[in-house]
Formats: sequence, structure tokens, C-alpha cells
Amino acid sequence: MDRIVVTGMGVISAIGNTVAENRASLVKGTCGLGSLEMFPSKFSTLLPVGEIKITTEALKEKLEAHERGITRTTLLALHAFKESLADSQLTSEQVSSSDTALIGASTVGGMCLTDEMHRDAQKDTPGSEYIPSYDYASISMYLQQRYSMNGPVNTINTACSSSANAIMFGARLIRNGRAKRAIVGGVDSLAKFTINGFNALHILSPDNCTPFDEDRKGLNLGEGAAFIVLEKEEDVAGKKIYASLSGYSNANDSFHASSLSDNGDGPYKAMSDALALAKLDPSQIDFINAHGTATENNDKVESIAMLRLFGKAPAFASTKANIGHTLGAAGAIEALYCILNLAEQELYPGIHFKKPITGLGLEPVQAYKKIALEHIMSNSFGFGGNCSSLIFSKA
Amino acid sequence: MFYIHQTSCISPQHTFGDADINKLAEPAEKRLQAIEPSYDAIPPGVLRRMGKVVRMGVGAAMPLLQNHPKPDGIIIGTATGGKDDCVKFLNQIIEYDEGMLTPINFVQSTPNAVASQIGLLTKNHGYNVSHLHLGLAFEFAMTDADMMLNENPLNNYLLGAVDDICTHHYYFEDKTGWYKKEDVSNKTLYETNPAATGSPGSIAGEAAAMFWVNGMEAGAVAKLQAVDTLHQADESIVKEKLQDFIEKYLPAGEKIDLLLTGENGDNRLLKYYSSCESVIKEDVTIARFKHMCGEYPTATAMGLWLCCDILQHQHIPDHMIKNAVVKSRYKNILMYNNYKGVQHSFILVSGQ
Repeated sequence: MDRIVVTGMGVISAIGNTVAENRASLVKGTCGLGSLEMFPSKFSTLLPVGEIKITTEALKEKLEAHERGITRTTLLALHAFKESLADSQLTSEQVSSSDTALIGASTVGGMCLTDEMHRDAQKDTPGSEYIPSYDYASISMYLQQRYSMNGPVNTINTACSSSANAIMFGARLIRNGRAKRAIVGGVDSLAKFTINGFNALHILSPDNCTPFDEDRKGLNLGEGAAFIVLEKEEDVAGKKIYASLSGYSNANDSFHASSLSDNGDGPYKAMSDALALAKLDPSQIDFINAHGTATENNDKVESIAMLRLFGKAPAFASTKANIGHTLGAAGAIEALYCILNLAEQELYPGIHFKKPITGLGLEPVQAYKKIALEHIMSNSFGFGGNCSSLIFSKA
Repeated sequence: MFYIHQTSCISPQHTFGDADINKLAEPAEKRLQAIEPSYDAIPPGVLRRMGKVVRMGVGAAMPLLQNHPKPDGIIIGTATGGKDDCVKFLNQIIEYDEGMLTPINFVQSTPNAVASQIGLLTKNHGYNVSHLHLGLAFEFAMTDADMMLNENPLNNYLLGAVDDICTHHYYFEDKTGWYKKEDVSNKTLYETNPAATGSPGSIAGEAAAMFWVNGMEAGAVAKLQAVDTLHQADESIVKEKLQDFIEKYLPAGEKIDLLLTGENGDNRLLKYYSSCESVIKEDVTIARFKHMCGEYPTATAMGLWLCCDILQHQHIPDHMIKNAVVKSRYKNILMYNNYKGVQHSFILVSGQ
């Protein structure tokens, strides 16, 4: 089977507006968590978030995106999308060709405008310019129109593992001969909607989150976007290749709507199915970018599933301590960080960790390391039991 | 290409259980609302907590899941899945000013709620995904199933789509001019089509349609030959794409027997349907279905359910017919739909 390779990347998050800025922050172990500043909320100083410190207006100016109804979510997506196209050196003809796919993912979409949406949802109010933007599909549709794309354009959802599945669907379109290349990724922006939702579940930490730590208090929300360009290796002669996508899977925990089963059946199946597709033994995985939300439930169950599958867990860490949980963007941003690990042959320090979880004893990577890396796994789990794992391999 | 073996549909018409599509149910309060069954297969405690879209989706899926071993995956298209709970949670946020809120609506607001509830209720650990791409959400669910069966030829999948008329979605669509301002009967919906004398908008609608699909020809109700999509506002490009689609996928020596279109009474969209009708020969029956289920993003799933029904019974109700041509047998059905004039889909379904 032809290898599917990554030829371009774009990302924006709380620790940088570009791939280069994100890498520099990861190397230094920068924490991008802090107070919420871009919109008013009762929780703005109480709950740390991974916010991108550029106003929506400034994003509009920078990206020359002044269409009516455009939202912060779409702007963040555009920012990362644009960088990924430039990085892969795709021509505008290639981008608009009928064999170029765009697969996006988001769990917030235009709901970042929580108050506006509430007003528009009432019977007797006049409709605002944002109504068409509340839909999850509006982001991919904006990019499709802006870049006159004629290939398959889709929007996928599996809750917090959504963009891992966007990557997977794009790769499968290529494998099945339905696209020659696929630009795949995800986006979410911070919203009063998600802050209050996760707060009502009592899984938001009042402090910076501490993945895999015994005293973890929950997750921090973040915002961001990432897109990567997937192509067939045989089509990209002479082009820079960052890594190949060698395995992927989607499994369901089917245990509970918002928490994982004690044994981590879904995470276990996701990781083992991805290994099977990549034709790899567990021992060949050099590092795992864990889902690692720092909630009581996730980190314990993910650890148990890793121990069950790997015996002794490989090196692992969660970059959610740097950028927060970016929900629909998490799978794509973390996949991109794995691709950076491979391309640069380096591991980044997992931050905020102090004490291993009692009885499990797993410690994430805590120092920057130059190291030979062949295969890396990225885990993403979501509400509804939607568990996905991706495996990237050295170019 | 894949085969459809069993179908199930909860819609504004009599499609669930003992189906009778000859009798046309009419809209009430400008909405074509689903005739919901009693959902005996869903545990009452679970049913009570389900929003309508989840209830309809799970309810339509259940008959298929009870008659077969576990499917290898659950692939759902939905544009409104979870949104009713979204707005309920939004209302809580505003009403209680970010105070103490109950999380149930938030948890159920994720758009993967239908697929994940089916997975949870049937303890299914397999592939589980939701496609949300508005007017093409079901088309991409079909594409996904098609690729899954290409990758795993021996597998079985539950494929389907569901959308409902939740209150706020109705207001959004109404405020942006996608529903007719005047009261209109579904019996006269297409009279409002003409660009000059007609009116914009359609009737709000909803339905859930589910399909048991695999790669086995024996015993199949229908064969899904191909599905393709396009984002485009220019009807001449849509027409070209349809011509290419027929050329590429209609088996050599065969012809289209029926063109089923998503015409919806919106006078801004008739030009697309007219262009597509002009592609096919005069001896092809043309039929329509939006007067049965109204307009909603995944209406082509109801369309596909109707294709299967027509192929099985070799009968098209009179109320669906636009252009009647006497046929000895319906074998190849071409379906063309467009959503809001920018998302187009082309589907070819064949009987045995």
C-alpha cells in the first residue's frame, strides 16, 4: 500500500501562531494557560484557559476576511489552513482541483458566539448576520468558497476526537482513490458554551492542569486550529516530507456518555487497532502524545489501557498542559506535534507533573530530549465513547 | 458500491412498520413533523432523557439492530443532531447567568449523540462516526460506508441519517428565508416553484432513515452504485457534473428509469432541477419527495429509503410523479438533490 505522507502543516494555539512558534514553545516547555480576556465570562479569572491572544478583529484584518457573519472559529481555521497550504507549496490550481479534499472538524463551530446564538434562537428577534455560521459545516464551507475548492469537502464529528477522525477520513479518501491529496484538520475556539458545560460537569481545574499527576484537578479548555496536508508518497517526489501516517483507528468505548470505562476498553481497542493497521508491535511505539486531559477519569483509564496494551508504557506526555484541551482541534494539533517530534527527532518536556498516580506509577516525559524516533502514537478520546488513535512514522 | 439489505424510516409519512406511502400526510403549523412510534425497543428510562433527534435516530435504527448480529460500525449523517440540547443549555447559561447548571443538556449537545447513543445502547465497540456537513452529511456517511466496505468487504454497517425540526433551528431557517412565509399545503408545494410567479422557501421537515448495508449481493433490496457531491452555485457546472456522473457510473447498455429529485417549492432553486432534468431522456419518469418529508439537510436519506421502497414494490405513488412514463420495470434510479443552492448530490441506486 502507498504510504500517505504529510507535506504541509499549519497551526495556531495558545503557545504560538505558527508551526515554528509552537515548536519553539514546546521545546522550552511554555505554558500558554492563563486568564480569559477575549470575551466576558464569570469564570474569566477563576478558570485558566489556553487562549490565543489575538482579537477577532485583528484576525479579520490579518487574514483579510471581512465577510458578513464570519466567526472567530472560522478565522482560526483559516489561519492554520493558510499556513498549511503555503508550507506544502500547493498551487492554487492544486487546491481547487477536483481531486483535493478538505475535511474539517469542530465541536463548537459558530457557537463561540454564545450570546448572539441565544438571541437568534428566540422567536421574535430579528436574525443576526451570524445565523448561517452557527452550523458546524460553516467552517469547511467558508474555506471551500474562499479557495474555490471542487473536491470532496466534509465536516466530521466524534466529539473531542473529531479532528483525529478528519485526518483518518482524508487518508481513507486517498487510499480509496477518491482524492489525490487531502487537507485535514480541526478547529475550536473558546466559548461561554463549553466553559459552562465542562464546569457543570465539574471537570475544569481552577489551576493549570497537571496531566497524569496524582493530584490532578481536571482540565483547562483551550482554543486553536491545525491543518495538515496528506498526499501519496509517489505523488510528492522532491517535496519535503515530515512524516507518514501509518495507522489509525476509531473504536467506541460504549460505556457512558461522558466518561470512560474502568478498564479503558475503547482506548485499548483504538490503540491496538491502529497498531494492527500499521502492522506494528506495541514495542515499536517510541512515544505517545496522550489524550491526557488531566481529569480524574481520563488519565487513570488511559494509563490502565496503556499498561494493558504495552506492558511497560512507552514514553508519553500530554501537551494539554501547554495549550489546554482544544476539543475539536485537539486531535489535529496533537497529531501535528507528533509530526514535529518525528521530523525534528526530539521529545518535548511534559509540564506541571509532580507525582505519579498511586498504583499506576506512570511518569510522563519531563525534559527536552534529542532522541531517535520511528513511530509515534496520538490518542484522542471523546464524549459518547468515541476513541481514536493515529500512528505517525518517520519520513 | 454497496448493497442495502434492510431499511427503516421514521418520517412525517406512514413509513415505519407497516408502511403505506400512497396516503399523503399533511403539514401542521407549516411543519411536516414525523409520525413517531411508541419506541418500544428503547428502555423507558433512557427514552425519557433523549432529545427528539436522538429518539428518532435510535428508534429508526432499532429494528435493524434487532434482526442482525452487531454491525461492524455505525455511520450517521446529521446536521441538527444534538442541537436542541445545545440551545437548552444555552438558555440555562443565560437564564442562570453562568450559575449552577445541570450538565445533562451539555453532554447530549454533542453532534455525535445519535451515533454514540446507538453504540452505547447496543454495546457496540466498532467504528462510530457522525458526518455533519449540512446538506451533504448523509452523502458523506454513504461515502464512508462505501469506503469501509471496500476496505473490509465482509463487514456489515448501520448507515443512516436523522434531522429534526428543533424549535431554534426552525427560527434560524425561518429568519434566513428558507421556509415559506405563507401557509402552503404539501399537495400544492410545487406550484410555488416558478421563478417569476412562485415564492422562496420550502416547508420545514424531518425524518430518520436507517439502512443495513454490506457487500453481499444475495438478498439485497438495492445496490448503491455511486454517490458524488459538489459545492457550486452555477447550474451549468452542476449539469456538467451530473452528465459526467451518469457516464461514469450507469452500467453500460442500461438506462435511467426514474429521476427522483429534491425539488422543494423554492422558486430560487428550480433552475438547478430544470438543468438536471434536461440531462435525461424524455422517456424517464420524474418524481419528487420533499412534499413528503419537507426540507431538511439529510433529506436524501428519506429519498434513498423511497428508492428502496420503489425498487421493492415497483410502484410510485401518484403524488410523487412529475413526469409519468409507463414503465414495465424500474431498475436504475438517479437521485439529484441540492441544499440551499450550493450543496449538490448525485446518487445512483439500482434494483436487481
